[in-house]
Amino acid sequence: MLKTLGRQWRERLEFGIFTLPVLICIAVAFYIPFAMTIRYSMTKWNGIAKHPKFIGLDNFRQIFSGDTNFSNAAWFTIKYAILYIVIINVLAILLAVLLDMKLKSTSWLRAAFFIPYILSLVIVGFIWKFIFMQGFNSLGESTGWSIFGLSWLGTPGLAFISILGVSIWQSIGFYLVIYIAGLQSVPEDLKEAATVDGAGPLRRFFSVTLPLLAPSITISVFMALTNSIKVFDVILSLTGGGPGGTTYSIAYDIYRDTFQNNLYGYGTAKALILFLAVLVVTIIQLTVFKRREVEA
Amino acid sequence: MTTKPNKAGKIILEVVLVLLSLLFLYPLFLAVINSLKSFGEVMTDVIALPKHINFSNYAYVWEFINYPRLFLNNFIITGVGLLGIVFISSIAAYKLARTKTRWSGVLYFLCIMPMLIPFQSIMLTVLQTAKSLNMSESTWGLGLLYWGFGAPLAVFIYHGFVKGIPAEIDESATIDGASGFRLFFSVIFPLLKSVTTTIVIIDVMWIWNDFLLPLLMVNGSPSTKTLTLAAYTFVGQYTSDWQYAMTAMVMAVLPSIIVFIFLQKYIVKGVVAGAVKG
Repeated sequence: MLKTLGRQWRERLEFGIFTLPVLICIAVAFYIPFAMTIRYSMTKWNGIAKHPKFIGLDNFRQIFSGDTNFSNAAWFTIKYAILYIVIINVLAILLAVLLDMKLKSTSWLRAAFFIPYILSLVIVGFIWKFIFMQGFNSLGESTGWSIFGLSWLGTPGLAFISILGVSIWQSIGFYLVIYIAGLQSVPEDLKEAATVDGAGPLRRFFSVTLPLLAPSITISVFMALTNSIKVFDVILSLTGGGPGGTTYSIAYDIYRDTFQNNLYGYGTAKALILFLAVLVVTIIQLTVFKRREVEA
Repeated sequence: MTTKPNKAGKIILEVVLVLLSLLFLYPLFLAVINSLKSFGEVMTDVIALPKHINFSNYAYVWEFINYPRLFLNNFIITGVGLLGIVFISSIAAYKLARTKTRWSGVLYFLCIMPMLIPFQSIMLTVLQTAKSLNMSESTWGLGLLYWGFGAPLAVFIYHGFVKGIPAEIDESATIDGASGFRLFFSVIFPLLKSVTTTIVIIDVMWIWNDFLLPLLMVNGSPSTKTLTLAAYTFVGQYTSDWQYAMTAMVMAVLPSIIVFIFLQKYIVKGVVAGAVKG
């Protein structure tokens, strides 16, 4: 009896030694800050006063009753996320189908499209800012195309397109690689069987390949969704929120309120809303896509 | 068979794709050639090749931002972060996967749940927590902080993989007299090699290039900055000196590109494995 108790305690001790480090680190990185976020979201605080002033749900009331910065940023983020998710997945699937044909340059092509993804988004933003501001002049002069003469970062609509385009340029390689991996797991004989049955290339793609790509699509849409809702770095270096504040995303708006306007309590309230939005949207996305996957 | 595309079509397709990929990389090429030009040359024509190869911009930026120091900072932060993430996540994921109690289920859930918390939702309070633990304004402190941020995904990936390793292996090792850490490091950890590679690759790319967390944590002093941070502040100071800005950009991304060229195969594989698992 005593001996078994000893063994049980030894096992418990070992369990603790193995799992405590990770639990402590995650608590420090996430749970403690998250609990503090919930508390601050109900206060008015400029970061300087010793004690934040408790104001209940006033911050949330204020945000939803007419904070134009927040609603503009939310609208920007929604538009950006939808377009980013659709465009990047469609392009990546198309490109993946082309690269899945056995070409001689396949490995070069994959590497080439993947390279921007290994670069920091802030730096990618600056490189493109240089190209939009300086490079397009030269390109316009040498080609004579008026498209290069437009003010790509200075007009609200075009600045939106620029941010979207640069983000897609940076990350398409990632999605491409996922879809290529997905395509390679589609069995050859299924495609051949479809051909024997008289299906053309388009029919084959939509009736055989695409349904079997469902798991890759679920992952890619999930990644695109979580990344696009949090878009920040590329905007910071490319437009800085301009022109005229038209390109602030929610993440940028939170950053601005907390660290530039010193509205600590108000900013954290927005941060909490962002968390809830991410939670709800990802849960919906995963359940819907998983259900479709089973049917396919 | 009609599935085989004809040869001429394939060659045309290949040429088109290669041209497309060159066009795709053209912005990076522009950054590189303009880093080799003088201010006047950049202003007159961005797309022209430099008249002569001149590394003086590089010498200037190297000196100005103290490149070796920044490189070392990045190295420390990434190294400390990585070692910790791999160590604490692998042991925890192993124990959690092997222990079949309600507790282990709850703890596992607590470990992976933070993947859904956007960093922007907690950035202010993370900074405060780090300050109260004396971890801010230090490269080591930042490296340590990454342990917690990298752990959820790493635990998730390790946990999934450990479940696929038969428990009989543990039992036979225990009979041979190994237990605890001994069992884990001489028997289990070697079996996890492929997952560890995946986690290392995903985390190196992330920590090396991360921006917001270093901006909040180590931006206060020039001696603790990272490469990306320095490039960011450098451009802020030299908004119109594009030749220096492009040089700083190229110098900040060069290490990643060199590593990528050498480890390309593993990086692509690791990213696929990580994404499919994650």
